[in-house]
Amino acid sequence: MFIALVRNEVLKLLRRRRFAIVVGILFVILALVSYSQYRQLRELRTQNWRAELQERIARYENRMRRGGLNDSWARSMRAEVRRLQFYLDRGINPEQPTAPLVVRTFANAAGFLLLPLLIAVLGSDIVSAENAEGTDKLLLTRARRRWKILTAKLVTLWLFASLTLLLGAVISYAVTAPVLPAGGWDLPSFNGFSMSDTAFRVDSVRQLPLWKDALLAYGLEWYALLAVAAIALMLSVLFKSSAASIGTMLASLIGGTILTRVSPDWTAGKYLFISALPLADYYSGQAPPYDGMSMTFCITLLGAWALAALGVAYALFTRRDVFG
Amino acid sequence: MESGGDTALVAEHLTKVIGDRTIVDDVSFALRGGEVFGFLGPNGAGKTTTIRMLVGLIAPTRGSITICGHDVRRDFERALRCVGCIVENPDLYRFMTGRENLEHFARMLGVASGEIERVAALVNLAHRLDQRVGTYSLGMRQRLGIAQALLGDPRVLILDEPANGLDPAGIREIRELLRGLAAERGMAVFVSSHLLAEVELTCDRVAIIHKGRILKTGSVRELISSQRTMEFRVDDVARAHELFRARGVEAESYDDTLVAAIDETQAPPLIAALAEQGVGVFHAREKVHTLEELFLEATGGETVG
Repeated sequence: MFIALVRNEVLKLLRRRRFAIVVGILFVILALVSYSQYRQLRELRTQNWRAELQERIARYENRMRRGGLNDSWARSMRAEVRRLQFYLDRGINPEQPTAPLVVRTFANAAGFLLLPLLIAVLGSDIVSAENAEGTDKLLLTRARRRWKILTAKLVTLWLFASLTLLLGAVISYAVTAPVLPAGGWDLPSFNGFSMSDTAFRVDSVRQLPLWKDALLAYGLEWYALLAVAAIALMLSVLFKSSAASIGTMLASLIGGTILTRVSPDWTAGKYLFISALPLADYYSGQAPPYDGMSMTFCITLLGAWALAALGVAYALFTRRDVFG
Repeated sequence: MESGGDTALVAEHLTKVIGDRTIVDDVSFALRGGEVFGFLGPNGAGKTTTIRMLVGLIAPTRGSITICGHDVRRDFERALRCVGCIVENPDLYRFMTGRENLEHFARMLGVASGEIERVAALVNLAHRLDQRVGTYSLGMRQRLGIAQALLGDPRVLILDEPANGLDPAGIREIRELLRGLAAERGMAVFVSSHLLAEVELTCDRVAIIHKGRILKTGSVRELISSQRTMEFRVDDVARAHELFRARGVEAESYDDTLVAAIDETQAPPLIAALAEQGVGVFHAREKVHTLEELFLEATGGETVG
């Protein structure tokens, strides 16, 4: 019987055309990305990339032969030489954009602002619209406890958040595959380079086939989006108007970003959910804005924010008086 | 009450206080199966707030509601499974068709989809079921709202101002539908209204609510018959008045008319006595007061709605 409630919510979300808007936005943005990558590809064709690649490898090898490098630098150079040699042996230009690379990059590039914004578009009015249109009076008097109705809405939102991410990947492949090389899922991908204060650190570098690397990045992004959806649901319960709840979501995403960039020495900022949001970026090796933000910390923080948001949403929704 | 069905809904000492305002004050009533119960009061009297408490949208500050033997606060799902309702306006999903709306609520109740055709036919909406509710007139939304409330064959039907937006023919049609549901299916129908004539025609019993308090509850006939008087137009009011007083009948005189608080069975001996004393009687008739007059009297002269 619970599935009937979820079915109702899915139907309403689709009928409101929110998801069509989301798919439309994804399609337009990715089509633009695809076009720019295609231009880059055409420019690369005119260059002699093989000679350039050989020259780079030779430069690294000379440097290593001369010695006097610290361990980590030597290791990083060896890794880079191995990587470049790998491409050279297979006749692949490592700088060449491919459809799988665009898919992989989408997780990082869109995961930070674009996808959370789209989830906000989907989720921010899932409760407030019922309130604004007066339909909550019927929805809440049809012999279903309120917590069941809110859970159906949460499940629906999580469903569509997952679908949005999946569609992002599918669309980014679909629009780039016709114009860029479509293969290359098993090419090696290197992740986890990081800068410490003084040195370029490679001890955390992983070499994975691209498909596996992409799966990991998408998995982390998925987790982050579920947390965003939980927060969007809370805002939708808190505000009666859809505009107010979408606006608050946008302001907290953008405002949080500005805050982490502008005042990195305000260390309490690491507890903002926005600081932990770019999980895929941190996985790829980008340094988090504050010290002491390990991957475990970020995952726990997002989980805690999501749980707190759900706590507020359920407490309010199940207890409050519904006036017109 | 001749139908005398079992009690379907009991509201006891319902009170809602918001801030320092008491919106509903110690309201109690019981609803029996097979009757149409009117909830009559001007706008802002607390009708909608009471209805919101009945269906669990608002928690009462004090008091309790039992529907089909289940407490609305403690056993919400079982209590509300017995109820179909419209609260305030018939707000349905405008971006969906009538059928999709009915399917939506049928799924919530676990009701078979064959029910949709049945309830749509009851309110005469079958022909517009596949159009978006956004294109409906208020009257059609009212019908769809009632159809939605009838899904799952509830024992209690709660409708807030069901006559709103309907034309006179539509009002009559809905009135007949409600009377039929009560008489044939034994449904307990609760109708709020600020229209006295409507309540008088539709309801068996009525509660009159004003400023959050129930002023009177009783059968429509009782409330009206308690207000019945006989009117006598005579050629000599003073003598007639004297004669009435001698027989222990209180009366008031206006011009050439005497008004006595008696019913028509007491009239013939009085007329005979008047004739015997040579007082000419032009006419004698029973005067039935409308609820409107009753309401004016009960609320101390404040007008309705």
